Amino acid sequence: MNIDLTIKTGRNINRKHRIKSTIVGWSFVILATIMICVFYFYPMVQALILSLQSGSGANLTFVGLKNYARLFNDPTFLTTVKNTVIYLIIQVPIMIIVALFLAVLLNNPKLKLRGLFRTAIFLPCVTSLVAYSVIFKYLFSEDGLINVMLTKFSLISEPINWLGDPFWAKVTIIIALTWRWAGYNMIFYLSALQNIDQSIYEAAKIDGASPVQQFFKITIPLLKPVILFTSITSTIGTLQLFDEVVNITQGGPGNATMTISQYIYNLSFKYTPDFGYAATVSYAIVIMIVFFSIIQFKVAGDKNE
Amino acid sequence: MKKILTLFLVSILLLTACSSKTKNGGAADSTKSTNEITVWTWDPNFNVKAMKIAEEFYKKENPNFKLKIIENAQKDVVQKLNTSLSSGTTKGLPNIVLIEDYSAQSFLKAYPDAFYDLSKYFKAEDFAEYKLASTSLNGKHYGLPFDTGVAGLYVRTDYLQKAGYTVDDLQGLDWNKYIEIGKKVKQATGKYMLALDPKDLGIIREMIQSSGSWYVKEDGVTLNLADNEPLKEAFKTYKEIVEAGIAKPVSDWGQFISSFNSGAVASIPTGNWITASVKAEASQAGKWAVVPFPKQSGIPNSVNATNLGGSSWYVLNIPGKEKAAEFLAKTFGSNVEFYEALNKEIGAIGTYKPAANSEAYKAADEFFGGQKVTADFSKWMTEIPQVNYGAHTYVIEDILAVALQDYLKGKDLDKVLEDAQKQAEQQVK
Repeated sequence: MNIDLTIKTGRNINRKHRIKSTIVGWSFVILATIMICVFYFYPMVQALILSLQSGSGANLTFVGLKNYARLFNDPTFLTTVKNTVIYLIIQVPIMIIVALFLAVLLNNPKLKLRGLFRTAIFLPCVTSLVAYSVIFKYLFSEDGLINVMLTKFSLISEPINWLGDPFWAKVTIIIALTWRWAGYNMIFYLSALQNIDQSIYEAAKIDGASPVQQFFKITIPLLKPVILFTSITSTIGTLQLFDEVVNITQGGPGNATMTISQYIYNLSFKYTPDFGYAATVSYAIVIMIVFFSIIQFKVAGDKNE
Repeated sequence: MKKILTLFLVSILLLTACSSKTKNGGAADSTKSTNEITVWTWDPNFNVKAMKIAEEFYKKENPNFKLKIIENAQKDVVQKLNTSLSSGTTKGLPNIVLIEDYSAQSFLKAYPDAFYDLSKYFKAEDFAEYKLASTSLNGKHYGLPFDTGVAGLYVRTDYLQKAGYTVDDLQGLDWNKYIEIGKKVKQATGKYMLALDPKDLGIIREMIQSSGSWYVKEDGVTLNLADNEPLKEAFKTYKEIVEAGIAKPVSDWGQFISSFNSGAVASIPTGNWITASVKAEASQAGKWAVVPFPKQSGIPNSVNATNLGGSSWYVLNIPGKEKAAEFLAKTFGSNVEFYEALNKEIGAIGTYKPAANSEAYKAADEFFGGQKVTADFSKWMTEIPQVNYGAHTYVIEDILAVALQDYLKGKDLDKVLEDAQKQAEQQVK
């Protein structure tokens, strides 16, 4: 009898305690939860509904999946996807290799003025997107510094029409993106490199591993999670690319450098506004980001995770 | 403890709810009670100044009048207007907004009831006919026509002289002759004849409007790309200009402006609103002249007059609309004196016909070697063929920009335009 009572009250206390801690827990997160629902999930759902509508400006009508079908027959959309994918498969690997290379160089304890170099290489990504785009536009203009230098060193006989030629315009964008973001990714690699235990390298040296072997057999495998992280964030960043292209080439010549994001902007604000179709294109980006992220996880991710 | 927590949560919820409500109420009240009229516009040297002059004129009779001019890039004005109007709330909208004629129909059709009918505030017949097609919808005038966009060919007389030409040789020019002159100028001076931005098809627009043609037919809806002779001719001319090597490539507005301010180009085929920017380089005074715009070679009804851009004032259908309409009517809508001042101070030429007879419009301009520039522009303005821009100018233009690149790379012209037509039909249905 007595024992039974103790168990009962014990349970009661336990339950009370549990409810109490649940309430306390919820009270901490409830505000954030509401905010996230209002500012993240509500717009996402709203955009999904919007993507099923079409019409100019405020006269929207429900069209079902028609907008999604339209995507595949829209040459402009397909061109922007093509452009974006070109940036992705060329720029992201270049940038990651450059960043990795710089990080390994700057991680060398014998190097003097390391701090200065690190700051210098990291600085580009602190500058304003628009400001650096404008400067790049002037550097690469017909009589800009780049052309002047290349002609002076007799590397080219006639100035390259960087911004007016479809091929060179893409090259310009890729150079600009690499300039700005390589330093940013380098910081991740640097911090990851500093977490690698030096004794592993010492052991490798004793076993007679060359620096190249050390790099490929130790550094790269240990940096794998960071490389995965940077390549996913860079992929997402590239798929959402907007500022550089708009400010350097305005998507031209023709649509040679236009990105999906710029197309969304044009559909919403430059043309007769069709917010429904613009929302559909936005969802296309979402789908692509999910797709590419899954691929990257599959290729580079750890199977145990 | 539980009670305190519940109380805490409820009060937070209530607080957020209340605070947002009071905020809304407050803002609405403040717009109602104020006498201030807000204007959104772009270009500080032109539209903003024009509004300021209008304010001065209106203040003479209404000393309490207050005008708040918010200056943004044209792109941003369009974007802000689109976001506000499509969200359905009128909060934060201005009373008056400047809209480019090319985009006007798209706004009027996309947001019915968003704009205030100005028909009874001004006499439509006082304004140039070609402006009214874009400012009105279903017989109602929503926009008060403002600057003309009448185009001319600005030329550097000193460069031309070196190449052996005088201004008289440039009267009644067509594009073939223009290219010929361009080559000579390049030979003689090493300067480019003009600056071209591959993303901006303004020059194509000017060419086809001089032949009374547009991307759409007169109904403003039927696409007119595939078998459009003036458009074909314009594409050919563009390619010839590029291949002749007489065009300096530029990639934005700033570079365009500096192309002539720095003396790198010998001519600017563009709208008269560029006058202020040309004059900004005072050291070139006396070196410029303006001749009629070249007509299209091989197009019989092409004339030496056309239009580029131009915009008009619109009043939003929100509290304060009567006051805003009244202000516009008394200044831009009827005041010859005001237009004289406008012309004197910023070189602006409105499309208000009675102003064209005023003395100020006949004044000689020393910057242009004593040429009566305003009178010339006013004369050409009356010759501009009227076309219906429709609601899709920029959609079609982006498609055409790709078509133009394909054509420059060597694709067949008929095929290029047929493809563009097909694509445009899908886009604007």
